[in-house]
Amino acid sequence: MLVSWRYRLRPGSVVQALDPRAWMIFFACFLVATVMTWDLRLLLPLLAIALFFIFTSRLTWRDTRRAWLFISGFVIFFSLLTLLTGRGGVEHYTVEHVIGSARLPFALFGWKPTLLLTSERLVFAVSMLVRVFSLASMTVLIPYCINPALYGVTFRGLGLPDKFAYAMDLTMRFIPTFGRDFQLTMDAQRARGYELEKVEGGLLSQVRKLAPLLVPVTIHAVAGSEDIIDAMDLRAFGVQPRTWLLELTYRRRDRILIGAGVMLMVGYIALSLIGFGRLWVPEALQAFPLLGG
Amino acid sequence: MDRKTLSVVLALAAVLVFFLGIIWIGGMLNPSLQLDETALLRFVFVAIGLVIVFILYWLTKSSGIWQVGTREVVYMAIGAALYAVFSYLFNGTVFVVPSVSQVALRPAIVIPMFFGYTFGPVVGFFSGAVGNMFGDALTGFGLSPQWSVGNGLVGLIAGLALLYTDKKKSLNNVLIAGAVLTLLATVLYFVGRGTPNMLFFDVPNNIFGDQPITVIAGLSVLIGFVLVLAARFLFGANVDVGAAVTWSMLGNLVGIGFAAISDIWINGYPPVAAIVGEFIPAAGPNLIFAAILVPALVLAYGAMRRQTGR
Repeated sequence: MLVSWRYRLRPGSVVQALDPRAWMIFFACFLVATVMTWDLRLLLPLLAIALFFIFTSRLTWRDTRRAWLFISGFVIFFSLLTLLTGRGGVEHYTVEHVIGSARLPFALFGWKPTLLLTSERLVFAVSMLVRVFSLASMTVLIPYCINPALYGVTFRGLGLPDKFAYAMDLTMRFIPTFGRDFQLTMDAQRARGYELEKVEGGLLSQVRKLAPLLVPVTIHAVAGSEDIIDAMDLRAFGVQPRTWLLELTYRRRDRILIGAGVMLMVGYIALSLIGFGRLWVPEALQAFPLLGG
Repeated sequence: MDRKTLSVVLALAAVLVFFLGIIWIGGMLNPSLQLDETALLRFVFVAIGLVIVFILYWLTKSSGIWQVGTREVVYMAIGAALYAVFSYLFNGTVFVVPSVSQVALRPAIVIPMFFGYTFGPVVGFFSGAVGNMFGDALTGFGLSPQWSVGNGLVGLIAGLALLYTDKKKSLNNVLIAGAVLTLLATVLYFVGRGTPNMLFFDVPNNIFGDQPITVIAGLSVLIGFVLVLAARFLFGANVDVGAAVTWSMLGNLVGIGFAAISDIWINGYPPVAAIVGEFIPAAGPNLIFAAILVPALVLAYGAMRRQTGR
């Protein structure tokens, strides 16, 4: 049985008032623009765009609570980690200005951990938070706001051949179903005493321990596909160019959205070409002493 | 050249011309432009990856392995969805799968390997590339399209096994190619032993990309290759298992190699850092999964087919 995303029609939703093809094109342009830059001054307008669409999409907290909690937990955890360890930042800055440091009051095997806060780490962590939150928020809108019945025709309308458009459609439909199957398999195995998190044994036994989860979920999915294949074959799938039950038409607002998306992307590419894509550290934060200086 | 092929070639040429144009215009706008800071190179490597796919298709198009029917469409979708779900669950966000000596465990990679080997290169490529894209979107990792293409290549190359009617004949050549690549990676590990493991994040110790690669992680490609070799000969009577494991190994080395090498230009890594810091910690554990979980999947799939008579 297929499990579906929590889509429903939301009267007054800006995203739902748009053609899904226009939305996907805008989303792709937004994605490229976001990936182009680490400059906080350029990331903030992108965050504003993401927030605009979230607040006008008529999503309720009840519907999307799990998604937001996951995104917030993920983004905050990794941003904090970035702030404390400087992970990932070494590609973006070569010098660091020390705001402060603190030696923790305990020792691990004789080593006293020291937390170092630098301007670059701080700005990098904030930039990362804004960047990932913007991307994740725009992505969340897709399953909640786009009608699953329109996935296939949307990808077809974006230029994919029929078969690949239908494969993309099925992929998006299968994701929640396999998520549910995984949870069921996990629960069933746990009922038999299976413990995934137990750190025991060497590398090979850790790998082997994953088989009771991966193999049943995969083989169950493949076995279940026979019914879908038969149903599609009985409807002569792929024999002739496909027709779609629902048709999409671009309206003025969709063209405006596409134009805005393309301009956003081209603008951000141009800005990154003239050097604005790099991590930006405000002058005031560069007044702190240099690390090791 | 038929019309369909010509349109693919023209589209790929247009993509490359577009990026060359950007490089040219960018150079005029900003003489000190460093392309690795613009993220544009990611898309250039997507185009290069697609050119590789096209060349492989062009060279072998007379065989039936590139046909896409109903069955393939459904398997493409299942493979991509499974890969996305497993990536989301196992990439340290939902279940933190314990890692051993800096070897992070990402078991999802066996999905494009298995689907590629069992259902063909198109299914393998789609499962790897689209599954990785959806997995990144679910996790909120952003966009690394060159790694999606690399994952796609893993599945595609595993699927090239279908080119051979007698799979056993291909195995020795594939093993030799794998041995050469493994040797190269291991030699580079000994050259750059102090290189940080850039793919490893150790939650309890807060270590990410700033600790030299451990001996086990550094030798993981070699360990994986030995395991693949063992699987190949242990399952000597079952050609399918041997072929699945060896072709998956080659797919993994080439696909992950492509993605890691592209980071030499995209992230500005020195070649040794890209190989030792990225390729080895990603491709090594993948090989270990290929040696252990791919046989389990192939055997289970064989049993299911016998049981259902399909």
